[in-house]
Formats: sequence, C-alpha cells, structure tokens
Amino acid sequence: MNMGGSDPVEGHTAKAFDAALSDLRLQIVGMGGLVIDQVSAAVRALLDGDAAVADLVLSRENKVNELERFVDREAFRLIALHQPMASDLRMAKAASRITVELERAGDEAKKIAKFAARVATGEPQGPVLAVARFLRHMAELTTGMLRDAVRSLDESNAEMASAVRARDSELDDEFAAALRQILTLAMQDARFLGATIDTVFALKGLERIGDHAKNIAEQVLFVASGEDVRHTKKAAEAGTPEK
Amino acid sequence: MIETTSTRGTPESTLRNEENARPAGAVTPRVNIAVDDTRQSRAITSVKAQVENLNFYYGQNRALKNLSIPIADKQVTALIGPSGCGKSTFLRCFNRMHDLQPDTRYEGSITLHPDNINLVGAGIDPIEVRMRIGMVFQKPNPFPKTIFENVAYGLRLRGVRNRATLAEEVEKALRGAALWDEVKDRLQDSALALSGGQMQRLCIARALATTPEILLFDEPTSALDPIATAKIEELISTLRDQVTVLIVTHNMQQAARVSDYTAFMYLGELIEFDEAAKIFTNPSKKATEDYITGRYG
Repeated sequence: MNMGGSDPVEGHTAKAFDAALSDLRLQIVGMGGLVIDQVSAAVRALLDGDAAVADLVLSRENKVNELERFVDREAFRLIALHQPMASDLRMAKAASRITVELERAGDEAKKIAKFAARVATGEPQGPVLAVARFLRHMAELTTGMLRDAVRSLDESNAEMASAVRARDSELDDEFAAALRQILTLAMQDARFLGATIDTVFALKGLERIGDHAKNIAEQVLFVASGEDVRHTKKAAEAGTPEK
Repeated sequence: MIETTSTRGTPESTLRNEENARPAGAVTPRVNIAVDDTRQSRAITSVKAQVENLNFYYGQNRALKNLSIPIADKQVTALIGPSGCGKSTFLRCFNRMHDLQPDTRYEGSITLHPDNINLVGAGIDPIEVRMRIGMVFQKPNPFPKTIFENVAYGLRLRGVRNRATLAEEVEKALRGAALWDEVKDRLQDSALALSGGQMQRLCIARALATTPEILLFDEPTSALDPIATAKIEELISTLRDQVTVLIVTHNMQQAARVSDYTAFMYLGELIEFDEAAKIFTNPSKKATEDYITGRYG
C-alpha cells in the first residue's frame, strides 16, 4: 500500500494540509533566523559600543513579536481547520510552543541591546570588556544552539535536537565561569557596580537563550517521537526520577 | 515515575482543618497541586471478550486474518481502517450476522466472558448469541410499528407478556437511549415519524431493551447531522457504564472522541491496537500514523 513518503510535512491526501504545515514550518524557520540575528547583533553592539546596531535590534523587536502572534495563530487555525492527528498534531502544538521560546530569546536580545545602547551613550564599558571573551563565546554557543534547534525542526533531525540539549551544560559552565570573573572584578573595584550588574544580566540573558534553544530542541524531539523529554535530562544523568 | 497525590474530592472541611492546625507564621502552600497521571496508562483490567486467531472466509476469500484482540469490559473499543479493511466483517462476527449468508466460515475463537463460550463456535446458536449481543446499524432501521412496540419487540420475543413489566422496561430502555423525554407523550405514534437522530436512538433503545452484554455499532452516525451525532456520541459515552461497546467508524475524530481503545485494521489484518489516546497522538506503527494523518492513498 502507498502510505506516503518519509517527509513529515508532505504526503497528505489533502494537499492544502501539506501547504498549511509547510507554511507553518517555514514561518518558524524564518522567525528563528531573525532571532539568531538579533542575539548576535545585540552582543556585537554591546562589545563594540555600537548604538546603530543596538537600535537596529530594538527596531526589529516588533517584527519578532508579530511573528510570534502569526505562527501561534496559524498553528491554532491548523488545528481548527484540519484537525491534525498524531505527528501532525504534535507539530501544531510544538509550533505554538517553539514560537514562544523564540520570542523569549528575542526578548533577551532586546534587553542586551538596551544595555548596549546605554553603553554607547556613556555607561561604563569596563565590566563588559572584562568578560568580553565570555560574552563572545556564549553568544557563539547560544546562536549555534538556536541555529541547530531550528535546523533540527526544519530537517526533522532528532539527533541534531538531542545534541542541542547536550550542549546546554557547556553554556551553563561558561556562565558560571564568567560570573566568577566579574564578581572578582566587582570586589576589586566597586566603582562600576551599575554596569557590572547590567553585564551580569547580559550574561544571564545569554544563558537563558541557551535554555530556550534547549526547549525548542525538546519540542522537536516531541514532534519526532511523541515523547515528552522535558525535565528528564538531569534526572537521567543522576539515575533517579526527577521529583 | 512521578509520585502523585490526588486532591480531587478533598472535602473543604479537611482543607480548613489543615489550615487551622498550621502553627502561626509557618509558611505552607495553601493548595497541594497534584498531577493526575492516571490517564497516562489504561491497561485493560477486565476483558469481556477475547478474540484469538480469528479468520473469516467469504467462500475462498479470507476476509479476516488471524485477528487477536482483547475487548475491554464496559469500555468503548473503536475499529478504524480504510474501506474494505474488514472492520465491519469483524464486527458482524460478534453477533453471527454472517450466518445469514451462504458459504461463509469462521476459524479461531471469540471467547465471551465470564462463561467462556466461543461466539463463533460450531455448536453455538446464533439466535442466542444475538440475544446477548445487540447491534445498531449505519442507517436507522426502526420497524414500521409504534415507538413503544419497537422497543418492546425484543422483550416480547423473549416471552415477556406482563404489560406493567413491558412498560417499565420500555421506559428504562428509552431513558437509557436518552430518548424518553422526547417521546414519552407519543409512544403510540409510528416510529417512522421520528427524526433520523431520534430513530437511531430508538434503535439503540431497542437494542438496550434486551440488556445486551456487548453493543455493536456499525457507522452509527454517518447518516446523521452534527447535533444528532453529538447526541449519539454522548450516549455511547454514557452506555459504557452498563455495556461493552464495539464501534466501527470512518470518522477518525469520532473514534478519538468516544473510544477508550482503538484497533487499526488494514486488508483484514490488525495493524495496531492500543489505547485511543496513544493511537491518536503517537501510534507505534507507521501504517497507523499514515492512515490517521491522512497520508494513506
């Protein structure tokens, strides 16, 4: 019997359904691309003290929000109009969730950009430069995780999604190391306390973006296998069920 | 496994007592949020009928191939699959409908519990089987008689003559089929004057009157509008308290809505059988996934 191809989006007897699912996925991938760009631009603006780049990030924040509403609405419409089942239903539900994760990652980028704009207009840049290596590395890690999380959705690649999950601990370690460094600095020289706190928030923002990437990867795994792997990683590592 | 505590049904007085017993200044959560994980797994606890290696032949044509399925007691089991997959043929084995056709043959067994009789066994009287297993068809098929007589028919066949008993049982069956309030004042009217949905519920009442152990539904709502369909689906959900239900439907959403367990059949074979929630959210077999997501063709 012809039971359709292996593509998780195509192969439906109703071609309109193929198109609706495909559009939904494309919109998420497009939104993902924008958010990745927001994150790397925000960190660049912060490190370079570049007001123009910071403004660009802030001006595109509305677009991220619009895309969140659009994808969520489309996922809702898909459920209402096509009544998806099994993997299609999981995809519609995951799309709705992934768009929220992307929007929150975008929010973190926005906060970093706001800080960058303040730095560009006079807030001391010392604490930022003190952890510049960490900021740069964490930005690479988070954008890489976001990129692979979105790609794993686009390519329905569960292995790639699992790898994103695994990389979150590297980011956490990097955050902890950056925190130690900046605290040492603050203890030695308390003049830039305000900027130090803002820098900690920027580092924390990047760490949170990694969490959002991990959450997206977990949704991709849910679409692929139907299994809810949220909050199971640490439990699995410890060998005990998470309470 | 997450340990859970259910707070459902906790009397308010208990909550108040706990609150009063708390030492002043102690910070304890006001509400114990519990996760009801019981819906995650619904293993069959009681089997009404066990189908074992069932084969069915129309002449030389083997229409059912080695089917083995447990039918859960007082639960709804749905049979889904494309046209010609054998789901109606399978359903009809339960009340020996095929015996009305020449040159048909059963192999294997459908063991009805608790008395362990094989419904398709050679020595079993089909009439006796039909007394215990009722059926409702795709198109409502009331007899051209009064509403009352339609329901009383099976009881009369069983030798019930007492008028009061008949009236009592007819009312009970009509109430069971959620039709009583609509017809109680016109029991002597012709059944053919009812609407399609009412006729179908009358057929359910007729089947219920003889207190069957299993009720078979063959596409019971495909000729009905959405409101009448919703009423029948609601009725099926209610019926599971008193009878085991087996339903054939082409409507996937209907199977998802009404059934506890779902079997997907293809070309006379059972492809997958599982809890309905599992089948419709994460089936194990690719063929099932392709069928329920509309990729079959």
